[in-house]
Order: sequence, then structure tokens, then C-alpha cells
Amino acid sequence: MLRVIDLTTGYGPVEVLHEVNLDFEDANIVTVLGANGAGKSTLIRTVSGILKPWKGSILFGDNEISHMDTSQIAKLGIAHVPEGRHIFPNLTVKENLLLGGYFRTDDENKETLDHVLELFPLLKERIGQKGGNLSGGEQQMLAIGRGLMAKPRLLLLDEPSLGLAPILVSEIFETVKRLAQHEKVQVLLVEQNARKALDISDIGYVMVLGRVVLSGTSDELSKNPEVRKLYLGGQNV
Amino acid sequence: MFNLIIRGLATGSIYSLTAVGIVLILSTTNVMNFAQGDTGMFLTYIAFFFIVRGLTPSLALPLVIVAAAILGYLVYKGLISRAKESSYMGMMIITLGLTMIFEGTVSTFFGNIPLLFPPLVPGDPVRFGSVILDRQDILCLVTALVVFVILSFVLYRTKIGIAARSIADDEYAARVLGIPIDRVHSFIWATSFGLAGLAGIMTAPRLSLHPLFMVVVQLKAFTAAVLGGMNSVTGAIWGGLILGVMENLVAYYVPAIKESFSLFLIVAILLFLPNGLFGSREAGRS
Repeated sequence: MLRVIDLTTGYGPVEVLHEVNLDFEDANIVTVLGANGAGKSTLIRTVSGILKPWKGSILFGDNEISHMDTSQIAKLGIAHVPEGRHIFPNLTVKENLLLGGYFRTDDENKETLDHVLELFPLLKERIGQKGGNLSGGEQQMLAIGRGLMAKPRLLLLDEPSLGLAPILVSEIFETVKRLAQHEKVQVLLVEQNARKALDISDIGYVMVLGRVVLSGTSDELSKNPEVRKLYLGGQNV
Repeated sequence: MFNLIIRGLATGSIYSLTAVGIVLILSTTNVMNFAQGDTGMFLTYIAFFFIVRGLTPSLALPLVIVAAAILGYLVYKGLISRAKESSYMGMMIITLGLTMIFEGTVSTFFGNIPLLFPPLVPGDPVRFGSVILDRQDILCLVTALVVFVILSFVLYRTKIGIAARSIADDEYAARVLGIPIDRVHSFIWATSFGLAGLAGIMTAPRLSLHPLFMVVVQLKAFTAAVLGGMNSVTGAIWGGLILGVMENLVAYYVPAIKESFSLFLIVAILLFLPNGLFGSREAGRS
């Protein structure tokens, strides 16, 4: 569904991504692995339109989206759950969620809201509380739920495990897996927690210093000695 | 005493209207709008121009609000949104520039002599038991009340209002969600300028029309906003009302410090209560 072709971009004068290519059709969950500073978040930000590409193109279905703004891209069905959650601390859980479907009608939102609350019963209990009063794990659920309110076809998840206790990390990953299976939404996952990410994903890409150096199915990547050494804790093969 | 308080509330409601405009713009666009008062001044002069030529004063009120909102939209689209990328300081200087343009234009066409602005609702003061109120004061109180009810409805119940609050909370997140930031900003500038026009035309009959007559109000509104915590609309409303009442009481009991009182207050708040009465840092954890 998403095709990224020779994408080059960066911040100010600094080029961060160098001719990155991604292409995935049927995979439910796609993982992009890489160390800090490999350009994973930059890639996601460019797909969702926050950053403009310098060169190359991004195709979503039949649409060339690389020069659209974030609202247009969101309307086409790409939702971005940013790194660090970025929920609105002074708005209620409900307001947070409704803003995820800003460009949809009230009726559509009402229906999706019920559905999202079914998926995250925890948020239902907290519906009237301020986002800032939720715990880290709850905030991550809220951020994902807010993304789903847009009824996306592609969900961009940037480091959902960041700063969470290990038990919560597993829970989040379970949730993501469930979503991809049952909600007809493709997930592009960016993670440093390579092992868990590969466990739930179908295919993966490995980025090093702004380039995709390796790609393949998750099984292939998990067995690749380089990947094992660099990202999976270096056990013996 | 009671009379002083009610009249203080009437003055305070004008401070509140202006302060709310300042806080709305500051919290969503990150610009300290120094032109909030003078925008009101400018539009009140334009209203005066038409009133002298036969426009009914009470009709001037809605017209000024609409004209002010359009002006706010144009200022945002034409100036502010273009400077947004470069720096916050640039936008702030633009608002300072606006005050000069407004004051200059007005003194060129109308001169610097104070002019008498007709009351919006003519008639004798009204008695409520021991309280005597100008019709003008009643108008201020009622208008402010109506405006605040509408405003809280917009900010808490409508999509664009909630979006505005989300931008105040975390603009990056709002952008990530595809909220049309530019449209929300235009809306906020139009609303704030509308409030500025309203405050101007309600102040003019109580003072007299002069190119600098809103400068004092701007200063008081700034105090009110600081008192309310700078980032809270509710705070700005209460800050304005509290300031109006305190000021009126001070003027009666300690007339010597009437003018400097609000300046003392700013210093005191910033020293002892830097978040104001209603201001918040980020709620809870992040």
C-alpha cells in the first residue's frame, strides 16, 4: 500500500535520509529497526507530511502524497502516533480521542469512539479525566486510540515502547498485533526494541545512518547473524 | 461599598474581555499581542466616524465586532502567518507595529484632541435598592456575561474550539493529527480582535475618545492576564473582574495609589504567585 521511492530529506542543511526505499503491499505489520539517529522517526515524519521530502516520492495507494500537507494525508487514511505519545495533557480523554478524527463528521466519530473504547476499556473508565493524569502506559493507549479515531488504513507507530515498563511494553505490542489482525489497519512500526518488534511483524527493514541496509521477512531478519549481533543482543547463532 | 464592587465589576468586565483576547492569542499562537487595546481604539474611531454621520450608537456595537473580526483575520493571514516560520519575536514586533499604525492613522485623521463618544444606551442611571448603575455599566456586565458563555461553549463544545485548546496544549501533536492549524489560528485571531473591538467601543463612552485611550486598558488587561495565570481563559476572566473591583476599592479608600496599583499588583503576582490564580503548568506527568 505504501511505496517510498528514493526518499531524501533532512533538517535545515543536514541530510538525514539518503534515498530510502520501502515497498510493502500485503504485510500487516512492518517494522523499521535501527539505532538512535538512524533516521527512523524522520522517515515516519516525512510519510505523515510533517517533514517535506527533498527528493523522491511517497505513494499511498495511487496517490502521490509527498507534497500534501498533514491534514490531506490524514484524510487519505494515514494516522501518525508520534514518539513520546504527545497526548494533550489539559484535555480530557474524550477530547483527545475526538481530535484524532478531526476531519470526520460527528456521527462517524461517535461510532468510531464507541469502537475504540471497546478496544481500550481502560480509556472508557477514564473518559472524563485529563490526559495528563493518565499513567505512561495509559497515555500510550490513548495515543494509539487517538490515531485509530481517524479510521486509518495505515497506522504509523513511532517508538510505542519508549519509557514504559517491560510488562507494559508487552501489553502494547499485543495490542498492536491485535489491531493489525482485526481492524484492517496496516502498521508501520518504528522500534528500538527489535526483538519484540520482529516477533509481531511480518516484514522488516534495518536502517543505518539514514539508509536502508537490509530488508526481509521478520523470520529472515531474526535469523540474520548481523541483525542478531547488532539488535538482538548478540547471542550465538 | 456594594456600589463600588458592582461598578468595579463593570470596569473589570472590560479588562476581562481584553485579557481574554490576549490570552487566546498568546496560548495558541505564542504571540504577546500588544495591539489588543489599540485595535479596539482604531475600530471605535471608525465607528465614531459613522455615528457622527447618523449611525445609531447601539447598532455600532455588532458592526464593530464584525469589522474587528475581519481585521483580525486579515492581520493573521497577511502578516502573522507569514512571520510564523521565522520567529516569535518577529510576530510580537508586528503587533507593536500595528499599534503604531493604528495610533498614527487615527491621529492623522481625527487629531489628538479628546472627542466625546455618545453612550451606546442613552438614559438615566438605574436604581436597584441602594445600588445606582449607569446603563452603560449594565451593558458592560451583560455583554461580558453573554460573551463568556458563548466563548466557553465554543472552546469546550465545538470542534474548532477544542482544536484551539489542543494547539495551546501541544501544537506539534495537533499538527501530527492533521488538525488544520492555520485555519484554527485564523479563527482565534478573528475572535480575539472581535473582543478587542467590543472592549474598545464599550470603553469609549466611559472615557473619551483619544488615540491613546485604550493603552491603559491594555495595561490593565495585561495585569488581569498575569493575575489569571497567562494561559487560562477562565483565569483571564476572573483576573479582569478581580482587578476591576480591587482597583475601584483602592481608588475609593487609598486614592493616592489608584494609578500605580495595577503595576504594584503585577510585580507582587510575579514575585509571589508566578502561575497566577488559575495558571497551570502541564497537568500531571507526561
